[in-house]
Amino acid sequence: MATSVALRSFSPAMATTAPVTFAEAVRDHQDEVFGVALRITGDREAAPDVTSSTFLKAYRAFDRYDPSRPLRHWLLRIATNEAISHIRTRARELRHRADVDAASTVPDTAAVPEQESIARESRARIRSAVTGLPELYRVVIVLRYFNELTVDEIAQVTGRPASTVGVQLLRGRALLRRALEGAP
Amino acid sequence: MNGPRDGELFDEPTLRRALRLEASELPPPLDVAAIAARAAAGRSALAAASITSLAVACAAGAVLLGLGAVALSTLAPVLVTDAFGAATATLARLAIPASTVLAIAQEPSVPIAALGALALAIGYEYAQRRERVHAVSTS
Repeated sequence: MATSVALRSFSPAMATTAPVTFAEAVRDHQDEVFGVALRITGDREAAPDVTSSTFLKAYRAFDRYDPSRPLRHWLLRIATNEAISHIRTRARELRHRADVDAASTVPDTAAVPEQESIARESRARIRSAVTGLPELYRVVIVLRYFNELTVDEIAQVTGRPASTVGVQLLRGRALLRRALEGAP
Repeated sequence: MNGPRDGELFDEPTLRRALRLEASELPPPLDVAAIAARAAAGRSALAAASITSLAVACAAGAVLLGLGAVALSTLAPVLVTDAFGAATATLARLAIPASTVLAIAQEPSVPIAALGALALAIGYEYAQRRERVHAVSTS
């Protein structure tokens, strides 16, 4: 199968469908797909694999892609499912593994200005709190605040009713607030 | 601690900024050709697995059919013999009471003569009675 296989991407601005190649789809969306993978899994090592498998699935399933829907949402849906699948697999593995070595990231010890250090610490706290959310809420929080999707768009991506997404966003934010208040 | 307070941490713009990808987090560009190659490899592996499973299924079906044929050829004579034996036994059981009836049917002279005499006696007696009743009623 050629890598220049044409997908037709929906462009809301033009309200028309424009054909794009798979290579263009990868180029245009790989950072966002990677970001979703990283923010949902919270795993720097796994995110590239999740991204890669997302595009692999997209490549295999391009003939099932509905061109009347935005390509971005389709890719985000696959990425979300892949990320969820990854975190479930990892949770199973962790449950079965007795000697779990803390896969904590090594802190960056490079000298940084104090303000930047504080900002970095805050970001780390928030990301950590997001990663600690239950999967159900984590997905909607990431899609809302990382991908900046609307509630309706999140509903499209996740396949959940918009009202459910709204409730999950509220609960997710409440949990996030609680987690941040409880964090040292 | 002069860091941001929790409320500040949680406001939506901060949340957005915190989740944004940093330059150091950006992944290297994906190799589209490698994705296509992996997809092709996966497809050929899938095709090979399909062919293998089809071959195994065909072989299993053939073995099953063979076993069925052998079992049938082994069991059929036994089944036929058993059925014939059962039919013979049933016939023998029925033949015993039937033989008495058949014996009577073969030698009907005594019983038929007796029945004839009985019928004749009944008819004569009936005629005699009618004559007596007629004589009484007319006199």
